[in-house]
Amino acid sequence: MTIDLWWRIGMAGDPASMRTAHRQSRGDWAPPGPDSIAPGTRDGEPDGYGLLDYLVQTARAAESLGFHGGLLPSFPGTDDPWAVASALARETKTYKFMVAFQPGFLNPVQAARMTASLHRATGGRVAYNIITGGGGPPQLWWGDKVAHDDRYARTSEFLDVLRGVWDGGPFDFDGRFYRVEGGGLPGPLAGLPFPEVYFSGSSPAAIEAAGRHADYYLSWLEPVEALRAKFDAVRERSTAPEFAVRIDVLARETAEEAWAEVERGWRHVRPEAVRAQLSRDGGDSFGVRRALAFQPGSFTGFRDFEVRPNVFAGFALMRPGPAFGLVGSYEQVAERLDELIDLGVGSFILAGGPHLEEAYRVAEGVLPLLRGRLGDRERTGPVTARA
Amino acid sequence: MSAPRIIWTIPTRGDGPRARGWAAAPALPPFIRDGRAGGPPPTPFDHLHQISRAAELGGLAGVHVPYDPFGEESLVVSASLGRDSRFLDVVAGFPAGIATPVYAAKLSATLQRAFGGRLGWRLEVELDDRVQRAQGDFVTGADRYARAAEFLTVARAVWHGRDVDFTGRFYEVVKGGFTGPLAGLPFPPVYLSGTSDEALALSAEHADVHVFDHAPDDELDRHLARLDGRVRRALQAVVHAREEEAELTAGPGLRGTYAQVADQVEAYRERGFDTFFLSADPALEEVLRIAQHLRPLLAGRA
Repeated sequence: MTIDLWWRIGMAGDPASMRTAHRQSRGDWAPPGPDSIAPGTRDGEPDGYGLLDYLVQTARAAESLGFHGGLLPSFPGTDDPWAVASALARETKTYKFMVAFQPGFLNPVQAARMTASLHRATGGRVAYNIITGGGGPPQLWWGDKVAHDDRYARTSEFLDVLRGVWDGGPFDFDGRFYRVEGGGLPGPLAGLPFPEVYFSGSSPAAIEAAGRHADYYLSWLEPVEALRAKFDAVRERSTAPEFAVRIDVLARETAEEAWAEVERGWRHVRPEAVRAQLSRDGGDSFGVRRALAFQPGSFTGFRDFEVRPNVFAGFALMRPGPAFGLVGSYEQVAERLDELIDLGVGSFILAGGPHLEEAYRVAEGVLPLLRGRLGDRERTGPVTARA
Repeated sequence: MSAPRIIWTIPTRGDGPRARGWAAAPALPPFIRDGRAGGPPPTPFDHLHQISRAAELGGLAGVHVPYDPFGEESLVVSASLGRDSRFLDVVAGFPAGIATPVYAAKLSATLQRAFGGRLGWRLEVELDDRVQRAQGDFVTGADRYARAAEFLTVARAVWHGRDVDFTGRFYEVVKGGFTGPLAGLPFPPVYLSGTSDEALALSAEHADVHVFDHAPDDELDRHLARLDGRVRRALQAVVHAREEEAELTAGPGLRGTYAQVADQVEAYRERGFDTFFLSADPALEEVLRIAQHLRPLLAGRA
């Protein structure tokens, strides 16, 4: 049993550090300033570089450190992951691209052909992160009016069509959402290995669909007992896929150093933002609603958001993105990851801000301390106790 | 006053405590599927490029590839980094003993063509005798300065001239000189260093820039007083800059909070230094720190 480690691509750019997590000074999503890079300026003129040049560095860092590849997330306000993956394809050698997309926005036959071409460009380095849920205004921003539970039915059809044309066809399909006549990928594009499917979604409808289509059921980090319950629910409803967890990591040699980084970043969090977060509801998203259930009831300081040892629920206040992440010493973060491995997690999508420097830190500081599954540890004998 | 030029030092014998780019990358625990499996082996240069690309994206003026007989060869590294950037000056360190001046000039002409005239020469003269002998170079003492002067004279002569004849103590050339596309390129700016009388005399004749090691002010002033006024001044220092004083560790060089280090650089600017050869370990993380925290302060004061 092996574990895959992915390192996220910061599609919205990166801060210089978590101390300035509110300002993505790498990339062009924050207003340009004297600290901006990619794009930056030379003698007052634009230097012609862009976020993609920085993403190349991040991807190459992750690749050189042995990460399996990277998740390229998809948001209304960021570059398209298919396009970024295609651009990074020739800049990397073994790095795999986990492309995030929502079936509603893309014709499944076109998705199949894009995937096959990207597979050919990269020697088969494409994986899918299929997103179905979410909801509220962002969904309509994309022009998607289909209701939450129907979206899972659509995802199922989408994958049926994609698989149908994958090996060449001719393929006919007449469903609720899609219709195809005589479809099929052409010649050399047909019959390539089908991408691994990472499937997200916390609702019952999502879990149902995951069982039919997913190689990996992907969750955000939650406290370990919540993840255990979630994974059990997936196991009950389906032929169980593998489990994957996406985690922000802030690890330093000592726990004090790690929390000091959070403390400095927290100086930029406005009190009214904390109050708003504590009274937030999750909209259509089961995942967000689940995360909100673990928030502290009252607030006296940022450590209140450490809802379990090393599990910090305050990341969403410091930067856009999921609430939970791990904060602590290399030892502590390795222990938390080992707990998740024991829970049955077979794949991690790790992230840190900035993704470039933190890739080295996690790979050099945390990964060597991982001990793997409890059963493996027992077989290989006792391991020296940790500080 | 224009912003100071920061030239970042490329560690050609490994970066950081794990000597990235020199030692093999650490293996992952056996239960983790290694993403590198099945791919071509990584090259040690991959990490050097990560550093120079960070310097390039970070708006620094250049990189310095030091001469280190125990590290990667500096001209080859310079060629590689120069091709992989658009703006960086690439200052290659080497001593005269590595080649004839004609050959060094010819190789450099190709590098100027390869990356559009961004090559600089950091000619190293005062190497350790034992190191030099191990490289097959037995010129010692003050002769090294005489040879360096001849080296630069011959290199410039063949670079700019035709039918160059030269007879000296160390080199002899008959009908030398570059032709065709190799002719007419900008000669690499010459960076020299050292504080002996011979070193400063060599600079007066041949240097575009003289590089001084970080030293106490009064000591530096004594050296500066002996430097020819036409030669530009550069400082070489380890830099250690952090957001808060409490985060600093003790050591030599330019050190302090970002604002304090900017003050220190500014003080050198006022004493006529326009170029700063800076280094820190790990070079990748630290160059990004300098680019995003120190450079904006310096630009703001320029």
